[in-house]
Amino acid sequence: MEKSKKFFKEADKNTLALFGIAIMIFAIMGIFAPKSFLGIANLQGMCIQFPEYGILALGMMLAMISGGIDLSLVGIANFSSIVGSIVMIKTGGSGISILFGIATALTVGALCGLFNGFLIGYLRIPAMLVTLCGLQLYTGLGLAVTKGPALTGLPESYSLLANGAFFGVPIALIIFLVVVGCVSYILKATVYGQQVLYMGTNDVASRYSGINNLKVTMKTYLTGGILGAISGVLMASHYNSAKADYGSSYTLLTLLIAVLGGTDPDGGKGRVAGVAMAVVVLQLVSSAFNIMRVNAFVKTFVWGLLLLVIMIITKLVENRRKEA
Amino acid sequence: MSKKVKHILATNEAIVVYIIIALCTLIGIVNPAFFGVSTVITLSRAMLITLIFATCEMIVIISGGIDVSFPAVACIAMYSTIRFLLAFEIDSPVIAYLCVSVIGLLFGALNAYLIAKIKLPPLIATLGVSSVANGATLAFLGTKEISNIPEKIDALSKVFILSYTNPQGITYQLTVMFLIPLCMILAAFYILKYTMLGRGIYAIGGDKNAARIAGFNVTKIQFIVYMTSGLFAGIGGLTYTILMRQASPQSLMGSEMMVIAAVVVGGTRITGGHGTMIGTVLGVLLIAIVQNNLIMLGIPTHYQTFVVGLIIVIGTSITSLRAKKIANSAKV
Repeated sequence: MEKSKKFFKEADKNTLALFGIAIMIFAIMGIFAPKSFLGIANLQGMCIQFPEYGILALGMMLAMISGGIDLSLVGIANFSSIVGSIVMIKTGGSGISILFGIATALTVGALCGLFNGFLIGYLRIPAMLVTLCGLQLYTGLGLAVTKGPALTGLPESYSLLANGAFFGVPIALIIFLVVVGCVSYILKATVYGQQVLYMGTNDVASRYSGINNLKVTMKTYLTGGILGAISGVLMASHYNSAKADYGSSYTLLTLLIAVLGGTDPDGGKGRVAGVAMAVVVLQLVSSAFNIMRVNAFVKTFVWGLLLLVIMIITKLVENRRKEA
Repeated sequence: MSKKVKHILATNEAIVVYIIIALCTLIGIVNPAFFGVSTVITLSRAMLITLIFATCEMIVIISGGIDVSFPAVACIAMYSTIRFLLAFEIDSPVIAYLCVSVIGLLFGALNAYLIAKIKLPPLIATLGVSSVANGATLAFLGTKEISNIPEKIDALSKVFILSYTNPQGITYQLTVMFLIPLCMILAAFYILKYTMLGRGIYAIGGDKNAARIAGFNVTKIQFIVYMTSGLFAGIGGLTYTILMRQASPQSLMGSEMMVIAAVVVGGTRITGGHGTMIGTVLGVLLIAIVQNNLIMLGIPTHYQTFVVGLIIVIGTSITSLRAKKIANSAKV
């Protein structure tokens, strides 16, 4: 009991630190570029951008908590959005066909996730390998279907999903918040949520205590697949087209967000609030860079550096605690 | 005796050989032109760079880690070297190779420090280093493709060790660069199999604690492994530039998946401790054949990524299933 209290305190500290960084960025940018940074246009623009990779990051977090990793999320996102878009275009582009297309995309994402889960859980192939191959496989499928170029001709009203606003609040942000709510509910309040934490901490112990590891793994990657598909639907709506290689930089980014948010790459630890906060911080950094007109490639450099620095600090703190 | 033959016929390497033979027969039936000296030369050329990277990746994977930073390290080493040579008007292949080696070693040492000393998970550490190296190349060194490579270095691409003219009068030539992966493979083969260091690499890949108790210096071996990987990556990057006759800061990015796949298809276990040089060469060969000859089978190019992905999934499934079987049978 005491241990779990300590664990929550620690995780909170991480989230709080991220919150502090976010406020700091707001303050600094508010002083240097108040008009462009705090303007409604920039805030809305940010809210449209981050749900895409924020949702992917949640999928990554789930996989990491279970003791694995999911590098195929971007592939799943693109492939499912391509299939969904084809359905949308083929069925005419009315309101119902858009819904039908989205449903198809989610189904495809779920199937891809199940396939990952099957290979990882049943055949016991390391998750990293499966999802690395999965990325290749799903991107390849997307390429095979589209023959390379982007799929265009999506219904106009579909683009409202990512670009529209509901009483001034971007719909993409609402979707992101709903997804965050769902994932956090699943992790905190369901049996599966507890099982996945146990399995991530020690899969042998969880098996001996009667948890069906295969089922938990399948569920984890299934959820990941669905999250990937949601992000794919958002991406397709954002660009109003679907392509096999959209968001190719998101794989590294989602990994970075998950780790920044306090998820343990070895499994068993992770909080939705931390990851959501990390998403916001990264988007703020990225926006600040854009406004200051910093070369876009510096971003890649800084993200890599951030990932390493954060990991090093966490490890050093952990090591010191172990010694003491 | 027959038991030994049976054992050899059922190894991972043998399975890859069967797949290669089946694939070659299939391609040969569809297109008889496949069987010929020209194919051998084209394939050797196609495998050249992948072989270099696969060799270093295999060593890292055997040691129980993974290195996804080699394309970025190769790019930054090669691109900064070429920029440096052009800026100071130095034109010497030896200095060029020395330069990339040093830069490669430095990045390898950084990887090793993060993994062996700070104990970060190898995937995260090398992913971070990859992002830093790639971002630094593009942001601080530039995004331009350089095609005016110093003359003497550029001239290396026109030195051939083998030349073959087919009856139609088309000449196929094998560049002298092929000696680089050849030397690396022979060295890696010898070190892995016949030296204490090589056995140490297998040992820490199997179980770090057991290796330490058995007297291996785990940190030292990890440093050697990742620095070798950086060194090979740098050399691979420069070799690629010489072959392509232009230096591009991005061109190798994204090749890491394919190289890891080739290594794993060749029977190296991603969890470490198992793998052979011969298997890796066969894995690279298999993937090169698939990539180069799908078009001969009448499969359109936009299916290529998918088909390669499928072969990797099947290949890794087979090796993993076999590993699982062996692990289960050993305990009983």
